[in-house]
Amino acid sequence: MPTITPARKTPNRTELLQGTLDMLILRTLLFGPAHGHQIAKHIQITTDDVLQVEHGSLYPALHRMERKGWIVAKWEIAKDRNREFKYYRLTPAGKKQLVREQSRWKQLAAAVATVLRPAPGD
Amino acid sequence: MSVRNWLRMRIAAAVGQRRNRDVELARELEAHLELEAEERRESGLPSQEARYAARRAFGNTTRVQEDVREIWSAIWLERFARDLQYAARSLRKSPGFAAVAILTLALGIGANTAIFSAIDALMLRPLPFTAAEQLVRIYSIQKGMFNTFANPDGPSALDVRDFAQRSRSIQKMVAYDTWAKNVSFAESAGQPEQMAVGLVPAAYFEILDIRPIIGRLFSEDENQEGKNHVAAISAQLWRNRFAGDPSVLGRKIRINGEPYTIVAVMPDAIPAWVEPGRHSEIWTPFPYSPDMWSESGRGERGYAVLARLKPGVSLEQAQADLSVIAAALAAEHPVDQGVGVAVKRLAGSRVGALRPMLYLLMGAVSLILLIACVNLANLLLARNSARQRELAVRAALGAGRGGLVRQLLAETLLLSLIGGAVGFACAEIGLRALARMPAENLPQLGSVGIDWRVLTFTLLVSLVTSLLFGLAPAFMGTRLNLVDALKQGGRSVTSGRSSQRVRSLLVITEMAMCLTLLVGASLLVRSIMRLEGQNLGIRQDNLLRGRIYLPPVRYTNPGVRTRFCDDFATRVRALPGVIEATVTTVYPPNNGWTQMLVIPGHLVTRIQDVPSAQFGVADQHFLRTLGIPLIRGRDFAESDGATSPPVALISEEFKRRYFATEDPIGRKIHIGPPRSLQIAAEENITDDVDVTIIGVIGDFKNAGLALAPQPQITVLYSQHPLVNGGFKDILIRTASEPHLVESEIRSQLRALDSDMPLAAVQTIDELVERQTGGQRFTTALLASFAVAGLALAVVGIYGVVSFLVAQR
Repeated sequence: MPTITPARKTPNRTELLQGTLDMLILRTLLFGPAHGHQIAKHIQITTDDVLQVEHGSLYPALHRMERKGWIVAKWEIAKDRNREFKYYRLTPAGKKQLVREQSRWKQLAAAVATVLRPAPGD
Repeated sequence: MSVRNWLRMRIAAAVGQRRNRDVELARELEAHLELEAEERRESGLPSQEARYAARRAFGNTTRVQEDVREIWSAIWLERFARDLQYAARSLRKSPGFAAVAILTLALGIGANTAIFSAIDALMLRPLPFTAAEQLVRIYSIQKGMFNTFANPDGPSALDVRDFAQRSRSIQKMVAYDTWAKNVSFAESAGQPEQMAVGLVPAAYFEILDIRPIIGRLFSEDENQEGKNHVAAISAQLWRNRFAGDPSVLGRKIRINGEPYTIVAVMPDAIPAWVEPGRHSEIWTPFPYSPDMWSESGRGERGYAVLARLKPGVSLEQAQADLSVIAAALAAEHPVDQGVGVAVKRLAGSRVGALRPMLYLLMGAVSLILLIACVNLANLLLARNSARQRELAVRAALGAGRGGLVRQLLAETLLLSLIGGAVGFACAEIGLRALARMPAENLPQLGSVGIDWRVLTFTLLVSLVTSLLFGLAPAFMGTRLNLVDALKQGGRSVTSGRSSQRVRSLLVITEMAMCLTLLVGASLLVRSIMRLEGQNLGIRQDNLLRGRIYLPPVRYTNPGVRTRFCDDFATRVRALPGVIEATVTTVYPPNNGWTQMLVIPGHLVTRIQDVPSAQFGVADQHFLRTLGIPLIRGRDFAESDGATSPPVALISEEFKRRYFATEDPIGRKIHIGPPRSLQIAAEENITDDVDVTIIGVIGDFKNAGLALAPQPQITVLYSQHPLVNGGFKDILIRTASEPHLVESEIRSQLRALDSDMPLAAVQTIDELVERQTGGQRFTTALLASFAVAGLALAVVGIYGVVSFLVAQR
């Protein structure tokens, strides 16, 4: 299962919810096509290095989403260097999936936040 | 493209795709790694170290590759192949178990394949005719009517004509028949033969959509008496008698003493069961005699009728259509009163009387398969519990229960597939042997063979077997207690209570099924023995039968026929080794000729109530030749002749039925239907003579082996010109082995008429055996199945018991 572990080696590793990585990848691809390394980097940078994507999770996730038709892949030469990379881009189905996962995530976050509201005695 | 090639290409394509994806993924990961290394170099690490660091940070690339591959590939297929490989290896390690299991299955599946192929050929396979689903047979059905025909179900020619004219559902319809006739091939050497000759208008072939190889079909004109001397021959006859010579057209063959010109060679496309009676190799037009078309012939039923429905017309529509016509005919013609019509698919008549036998055999082989499966389940149970430690080790190493079950099932599957293949081969060999057997009684069996339907059946049976009977042992075998199973020094694990219970249940089932088979088989054997062993009512030993036919062209009147028969019998009686001989139509086990009677004191108004009896003609040597006891009165005497008053012998059963309280000797009765009922007489079949009863003779089997003797009345053919027809049989009592005098008898016949064959020469014993041939065949098969089932059960029970003993 795709897991995202906090970057710094904390003793209590938390496994994030299933599907979260998918959502993050889809969200990343919303800005335009990217290859695996760029996606991992983007997630790492935008979360201030809090989340570091494990490659062992990233590539299976990418391929699973490709099989499901949420993203498509194409080998293209990178603009800045003379080398081919496998670029992934979002499909309309992928965009819909992103919307679904985002709304689910918001619900979840709100629910968790409600539970974690400071108790009256705190 | 063949299925195999297609499959191979698909596999190649799938493998190719997988390789491509593997290569791509490797490239993708490589590119990623390089970028990582680059970053590290930029931050100051030496390039070699940067690469290592990147790889370390990346983690296990092989694992990633495997995970990704699993996402894309149909993983179960690979896993399945692996399971099968493993199963093959583990079976090779225990060849004894594998051999027993495979043989058990082969026996079960082989027997089922063989019987199913018979069912396939006789009931499932489409008929070899164009649009065969539109082909039907048409029968007359009569309720409570006493019928004087061999085939009580055929309509009359006149009814057929009216059906054809009035029906809106039938495209073409034809009445046809088969007759035994004397055939000699004038231009080729050889003796005359009695052969089955099909009497068919051209429409017969048109309905079946069979065209001549060479030559032409009969014309409409040739269906008229006098113009009908043309013949079509089968391709087989063409090859055997004329060496396939294309100039055969125009040559002549002699049928019943008359020349017929060959006008066509027909392909061997008509199976024997389509024709009534025997398989024809010669067909001539059906010369409708003028009286067939007069209203008096409307009651002359018994013709085989074949029809092709119009395209799109269903069987039900045709039945409804013809029923309306039959009802109209019944209203118009008194003789058709109470006569209905039945439309049946031609395909349905293929299996004929074999249907119950096939069901019986299918039931028997199903039982055998079940016994085999129970054996297999037992073997697997034993094997799995003996393997508990191995399974426990595998479980401890991380195999899930599902994986273990899958593994065990793969073994069972492999076993049943191999067993199925071996069984299939056995069935094929068995069927080849069967095809070589002269199966005159069962002509349909000639077409039995293996086709894709049989193959599918075998495969299905194998699969279902392995699933049904492999699943439970697999589940029970994998219900493991790891600690117990692995404990050092732990004695071989005793199986749990539940698996013991399952095992005893299996043994009980096996015994029950085996007993069912044995009881069924022994019942059949017993009934055959009783059928064949019963007293026919005659002296059965050294009694030979031969058939002759006196064609009307040469033997134009009853007087000539009587003289010929008397001459023939006299010549035969003079032969050395011959004790007695009689020309007759009466002898056991079947008489097959019934006459209505008028007996004083039995007044009737309805046709159903008319007294009747088995009837036949004979000469004066009848009683002495057959060895039937005379109980009262006197035997026929030489003084009873054409000019003296007609006399008759009746059987005891006849006396019981019609003269229960009086002495029949000297009483006069009338043979033939009561005149008041106005039943049309049939040429050579219906008598109309007063006779005096002179003697009562012993009962003998005259209605088949299965029925008790029916009332019998026997008269002299010389005194009954109306029924002194061309078909006669000669019975010869010899001093020793009857077949020794056969050639002498033939030469005596040839001396009288070189065109007349002596047909169907058999002893009465052989005749009886032939009658029970079909039952014998079934019984032999069933008995061998029962023995096989018993052997299987014994092996199975022995295996279980010895396993249990070993465990204790």
